Amino acid sequence: MISARYFDGKTTAAKAVELSLVGQEWVLRGDDLELRYPLLQTQISERLGNTPRLLTFADGGHCEVTDHVALDQMLEAAGVRRSWVDGMQHSLGWALLASLAIVAVLIASYVYLLPWSAGVIAQRVPDAVLQKMGSSTLDTLDKLMLQPSKLDATRQQALTAAYAKLQPLPDSKMSYHIVFRSSPRMGPNAFALPDGTIVMLDELVALTEKDDEIVAVLAHERGHIEQRHAMRMVLQSSAVGLVMTWYMGDVSSLLATVPAVILQASYSRDMERESDEYAERTLQLNGLSPCLLATALEKLEAAHLSRNEKTRSTQDEAMDYLSSHPATPERIQQMCPEWR
Amino acid sequence: MVLQRHGGYSARGAVLGEGRGAGDDSLAYMDRERMDMQTHQQPQEHAFEFTGNGWEYFKIWIVNLLLSILTLGIYSAWAKVRRLQYFYRNTRLADASFEYHGLPMSILKGRLIAFGLLLIYYAAGAISPVLAIIAFILIAAIVPWMIVRSLRFKLRNSSYRGLRFSFSGSDAAAYTVFLLFPFLTLLTLSGLAPFTHQRIKQYQHGNSQFGDTYFSFDATVGSFYGVYLRMLGMFVGLGVVSGILVAVGLPLILVLLPVAYLFIAGYYAVRLPNLIWSGTGLGEHAFYSRLEIKPYVWIFFTNMLGIIFTLGLFVPFAQIRMMKYKIENMGLLAQGDLAEFCAGQSQDANATGEETAEMFDLDISL
Repeated sequence: MISARYFDGKTTAAKAVELSLVGQEWVLRGDDLELRYPLLQTQISERLGNTPRLLTFADGGHCEVTDHVALDQMLEAAGVRRSWVDGMQHSLGWALLASLAIVAVLIASYVYLLPWSAGVIAQRVPDAVLQKMGSSTLDTLDKLMLQPSKLDATRQQALTAAYAKLQPLPDSKMSYHIVFRSSPRMGPNAFALPDGTIVMLDELVALTEKDDEIVAVLAHERGHIEQRHAMRMVLQSSAVGLVMTWYMGDVSSLLATVPAVILQASYSRDMERESDEYAERTLQLNGLSPCLLATALEKLEAAHLSRNEKTRSTQDEAMDYLSSHPATPERIQQMCPEWR
Repeated sequence: MVLQRHGGYSARGAVLGEGRGAGDDSLAYMDRERMDMQTHQQPQEHAFEFTGNGWEYFKIWIVNLLLSILTLGIYSAWAKVRRLQYFYRNTRLADASFEYHGLPMSILKGRLIAFGLLLIYYAAGAISPVLAIIAFILIAAIVPWMIVRSLRFKLRNSSYRGLRFSFSGSDAAAYTVFLLFPFLTLLTLSGLAPFTHQRIKQYQHGNSQFGDTYFSFDATVGSFYGVYLRMLGMFVGLGVVSGILVAVGLPLILVLLPVAYLFIAGYYAVRLPNLIWSGTGLGEHAFYSRLEIKPYVWIFFTNMLGIIFTLGLFVPFAQIRMMKYKIENMGLLAQGDLAEFCAGQSQDANATGEETAEMFDLDISL
């Protein structure tokens, strides 16, 4: 016998009843009522903490029960099975286990699942999307930080020709072209857009007299394009951003984007290495030494270091701290063991 | 029969301790109270009570979160039902709790549809801007229809003391408040935002029912403008003060800005529910909401810190804390006996609604 409250589903009046389970039948006894309902047609709400449980009968009436222990005993005696989640939801052990499991799953998906699936999806993104991403990125950069190139036409043509001679690897799928820009703000640099466009900055061209070194840097950028690194970055950071926003939703979506940015830095390190390897193979295929890339990288590093010395703005330092480029000596050693 | 029902109810009123003679003979007390009401029309205040507990909810939350992750989000529909059930059942009014009856499958279906629409929109946007605009228009055309289904689902699946809530807003009105007014708001650069907000709430609350009793909504457009304009004024004031501080070169601004922002956001988060709920009635009864800015901002801020420093494990505790504050500062000003609500025709209409539910039942809210 359990004390419960009965509501008939037609009015809000509560009636105190004594509830018992006789065979396969609920029996409700109150001051002026006696009701019987078959157990099988009764919906028994799940146990959720200490909240009242409801037995909802076929005619729309229900009983509210707060004596959880007694109800559980009654149900067990009648052979009513509990849901498998029931026990888990009410045990501290399971809560701890679940916390650990969540951390494990999150780490595993971040380290293995995310890069892998971003790679798979990136390879399947239609060309139209890559084209659009490439052109809109270039438009944005042109508006924000790039200026037209000041190189004369013959120099541009010579570099384009030198680059055109660079044989792509046999498994290459993309078509490439170079555009020339300048950006005193960004300094010596070149970057690859998802559609195969390589943006070459005047500052990089000015850095070296050897065109082969420039070609080596272009081969490296080609590696980024071929492996769809830009697309993968976008996919990965939006996936991380999505999860963060959902998880931290109560805090602020702004806070959610910060970790995404910091976390991404280590990704592009792997990508730089992949591109270095790609450039190495391309250079070897074309009878050029991978050391060309090594020397170019060293000059780049030196140029950026001296720039930072000069400007020393806090923003640059912050950028440096989050820099996605792996330590250059390490990369040089990898590519060109005979160097020094 | 009638006498017993009253007796039962007044005993509960006494347990709640409404500040009157709790030890009185319950029947006599009840009768006197009823006479009071007839003569003075003095409403009886029933505050909502929230009995949720952080640790208890944490255990439910974390297990369901794990299952949701392992099933790639599918189980989140079940998790949502449990969350709502936990919050509903822990919300009590006049010593009885609310109940949520939604089925996870309906929620899953709604989520799949919403996810599909989002996917279509992004895919269209990636291919061409024209396609994106077409997709956007199509989605905008479906959304009000879906909101109505979602509101019906939510209310029909909520009950109190065995009586279901229901929603009877029309599709035509939904297109006006969820499509036309927001569009006009855009055109007027948000100048109509308070008006639109008021109309949406009027549509939601004014078309809701509990059993066969209608909800009413009488918060005016002017009062919505009042809240929004005051907020705008605070932002302008903050801008001026920050401008002066920057000009003077005081680093105080780094502290002032976030704090002021928190309080202005708190003002919005507190005044609007107060306005909306105090303007909402149920039959002859009225609701009240008496949230205050300082405690709200404190709970919000400490919740935020808790969530950040526990990497999110504090989320369930934060939800419980906030819910407790919000719910316990709300209540019903009852004009008569709450137990006298009865179900009439609306309850039958619900029963037929239950069948069509199979086809269109969905819940798009997260």
